[in-house]
Amino acid sequence: MKRTAISIISLLICLNAFSQTVITGRVTEEKGEQLPGANAYLQGTYDGASSGENGVFKFKTAKSGRQVLKVEFMGYEPFIQNLDLKGDTIRVNVKLKEAFNQLNAVTITAGTFEAGDKKQAVTITPRDMVTTAGAVGDVYGALQSLPGTTINGESGRLFVKGGDSEESQTYIDGSLVAVPYNSSAPNLKTRGRFNPFMFKGTIFSTGGYSAEYGQALSSVLLLTTNDMPEEDQLDLSFLSIGVEASGTKKWKNGAVTGTVSYNNLGPYMSLAPQNYDWVKAPESATGELSLMQKTSKTGVFKFYSNFENSRFSISQKSLDLGGTMIDYNLANKNQYMNASWNDKLGEKWAVNAAGSYTNSKDDIHFDQTKVAKRIEASYLKNAYSYHFSDKLSVKFGGDFFAKTFTQDVVMPNEIHNNSFTEHTFSGFTEAQVYASSKFVTRIGGRIEYSDYLKSFRFSPRVSTAYKITDNSQFSAAYGWFFQNPVDNYLLYSNRITPERADHYTFSFQSSANSRTLRIELYYKDYKDLVKMNGGEFYLPTSYNNLGKGYAKGLDLFLRDKESIKNGDYWISYSYVDTKRDYRNFPVEAIPTFASKHNLSVVYKHWFGSLRSYAGVNFRYSSPRVYNDPNSQVFNGEKMLPYRSLDVSWSFLYRQNIIFYGAVTNIAGFKNEFGRSYSSSPDASGIYQSTAIQPGSNQFYVLGCFITLTRKGNANQLDKIE
Amino acid sequence: MKKIILSLAVVLVSLVSMAQKPEYYQAMGETLGQFGTSKDVADFQALGNKFQMIAAAEKSEWLPLYYHAQCYILMSFMEQDATKKDGYLDVAEKSITNMLEMVPSESEAFVLQAFYLVGRLVVNPMERGQEYSGLSGQALGKALALDATNPRAQMLKIQMDMGSAQFTGQDPKSFCPAAKELLANWDNFKAKSPFHPNWGKEQAEGIVKGCQ
Repeated sequence: MKRTAISIISLLICLNAFSQTVITGRVTEEKGEQLPGANAYLQGTYDGASSGENGVFKFKTAKSGRQVLKVEFMGYEPFIQNLDLKGDTIRVNVKLKEAFNQLNAVTITAGTFEAGDKKQAVTITPRDMVTTAGAVGDVYGALQSLPGTTINGESGRLFVKGGDSEESQTYIDGSLVAVPYNSSAPNLKTRGRFNPFMFKGTIFSTGGYSAEYGQALSSVLLLTTNDMPEEDQLDLSFLSIGVEASGTKKWKNGAVTGTVSYNNLGPYMSLAPQNYDWVKAPESATGELSLMQKTSKTGVFKFYSNFENSRFSISQKSLDLGGTMIDYNLANKNQYMNASWNDKLGEKWAVNAAGSYTNSKDDIHFDQTKVAKRIEASYLKNAYSYHFSDKLSVKFGGDFFAKTFTQDVVMPNEIHNNSFTEHTFSGFTEAQVYASSKFVTRIGGRIEYSDYLKSFRFSPRVSTAYKITDNSQFSAAYGWFFQNPVDNYLLYSNRITPERADHYTFSFQSSANSRTLRIELYYKDYKDLVKMNGGEFYLPTSYNNLGKGYAKGLDLFLRDKESIKNGDYWISYSYVDTKRDYRNFPVEAIPTFASKHNLSVVYKHWFGSLRSYAGVNFRYSSPRVYNDPNSQVFNGEKMLPYRSLDVSWSFLYRQNIIFYGAVTNIAGFKNEFGRSYSSSPDASGIYQSTAIQPGSNQFYVLGCFITLTRKGNANQLDKIE
Repeated sequence: MKKIILSLAVVLVSLVSMAQKPEYYQAMGETLGQFGTSKDVADFQALGNKFQMIAAAEKSEWLPLYYHAQCYILMSFMEQDATKKDGYLDVAEKSITNMLEMVPSESEAFVLQAFYLVGRLVVNPMERGQEYSGLSGQALGKALALDATNPRAQMLKIQMDMGSAQFTGQDPKSFCPAAKELLANWDNFKAKSPFHPNWGKEQAEGIVKGCQ
């Protein structure tokens, strides 16, 4: 019926073919390569044709006089030419210019692992961050499966490219997080404070980062919290170590989420063998509130706050008290808030305002000593970016960081009350210039002033990337990075200056479909590191900035989501060669936190018939060094290598109910992190020691996640897949 | 009898409007006729080019945009290279956005948007599954809210429900009765004109076949 109708219509319409013009031509790109499939037509008419195999198009038109020829092809700028049609043949050679599209354009990858939802350039997704088997739900644990990191099992913190853990900073929605880790006992592993499921995006930069970020010698971790939830929901989690309930209420332009959780390792520790005697197992209660409101079509305001109380008591051997066992008690109260606002002001301007507040207090009690440590910090930031064109944008802004650190130590015969307050003012500006879609440069600078140290520092930063083929590119970054010395030094001296590291990073990346290979070489030159000259620790004159060091290495990363059906794996390898002369080092030596060879292999597999997602993670770090004061050689002893094989299993029981289980170090490798020594030798002139062991050789988690929604089809799969 | 009258009425109404834009209807008729003979990426690109030309000439018509987008979605399904798939879908996305601005309460437009989102999902199900199945479900919800009888919307909904059933332990075959009913009633749905979307019956037949 329809066909007939169409044919009739076709017949009804007659073509006025009095005089016909033939338009023909060849479509090529700038280098002369022929483009088949391009669309050539006279604008506003129905006369046109596609270019064939050889890039040639040809069509007839009955139109006459002035017409506009338009040639379009995806990925190229449209070509437009005025024609005067007189009935003969017109030849037009069409050279199409590649369209500039920032999404397909080269991006700077030197030093950076970006996890987001942006198309193919992704190497690691936010979900990968939280589902790596050995991470057991810790953001920092997951990052330690990426190249450039070294696992320090007695710390749990991030150690990046031969840098100490204090050299890394964490930002949430643009605000600096002053106390990112939980409080822990000396030589026991800690975790990050934040639930990884609250983040949708992660950028982990292991060097050469933007001038927007300061006060970090080694790395910055930039976390972005989730966007608007899809619907009201209630999430319940029951784990072998705690429970959590979270409720989300959504309205038209906003949403609020409240979460309460309680963790207690007591029941777990009474079942699983522990290497230490816990008088009071770690226990914590947390309340979180997050709020989100759209302020305009493009603007979003986010607020997040977290209150946490935690405590534990562990029995540890005191080598200074002749090896007697003493209880180390710690109670921590931590309050953290942050707020951010992002919006576009017209077509060209974007604005970002962010702020955070931290109030963290540790009350520590061991033997007859009481220590109260308190950090109160505020951070404010305001940044603007101006978009001149797709190829040029400029960002500038400033931030302010205020911090008060107080430490009160009460011992039977002495009392030490120390505190310092520091204000750091910073300003930055940075321009990003695309010379073409293949070549981008980011150049900027940052100034920082500390009123406590009376120091003024300027850091230049440059990074660049060049695409050599559609799938591969080179990227390089250079910059000076400054960071104020750690709290323990600032407490006793303001006569020191910020420490400095210069980064040189060169990387190659190739990625096609779901495979990525990255090779990175770097060199870091450390200067102005704080060094102690042997005087008493409480005297300002005991500290100087004569310390120095270097780190150089090679990072390899391979990700492949394609070769194995339903499987996905990545392999990270890092080689680092580093030495330092800083702090209390008598000579230049390898620091204890660095290991030469680091390997992490992560594999994940979806078993459709079992409705299960399984993960395996193997990690290896070559032996690190430690110092034996009985030996003549500084940092001359070697630890055992670190090895761990971790597994996890998730089972989708129902649409909204998931069971989860994970075991770390399932093969039972023996891990040990050197020895700790008494601070003074005993009567026979020997420093007594004890092995530093992990809290337990293995760790088991069992859990169940339930999601309740009105529609009943949501789940927490993204949490544990 | 009723059917014939209805068809005739449709044709008559179309004829009247066609008389006003003869070139447009001729071009649409010819180009739509080539859908059946298009087999590969190059064919659909050539076809998409024609719809692009028609869309450029008729700025107030949404159907050329619809078919232009559809060609590029189909191309993305035929392509192997993930980057190219996304490239085709970028083109489709633009036309869909323009089309939705033109006809914000057209059920068919949202069906195509849902279909486009499935295309995005297919590029990388592991990573995009969660997000894009949600978005696609939302688009289908809008399509069904605007016209609950739209067979394409119903068909995609059944397809999607069956797809997610395998992850949740539900039996995909529990959707078979709905699929059979849809196919049985397929021809009762009358497109507003010969140029309005009319596809999907083959896919519905495929679903029903899979049920046996």
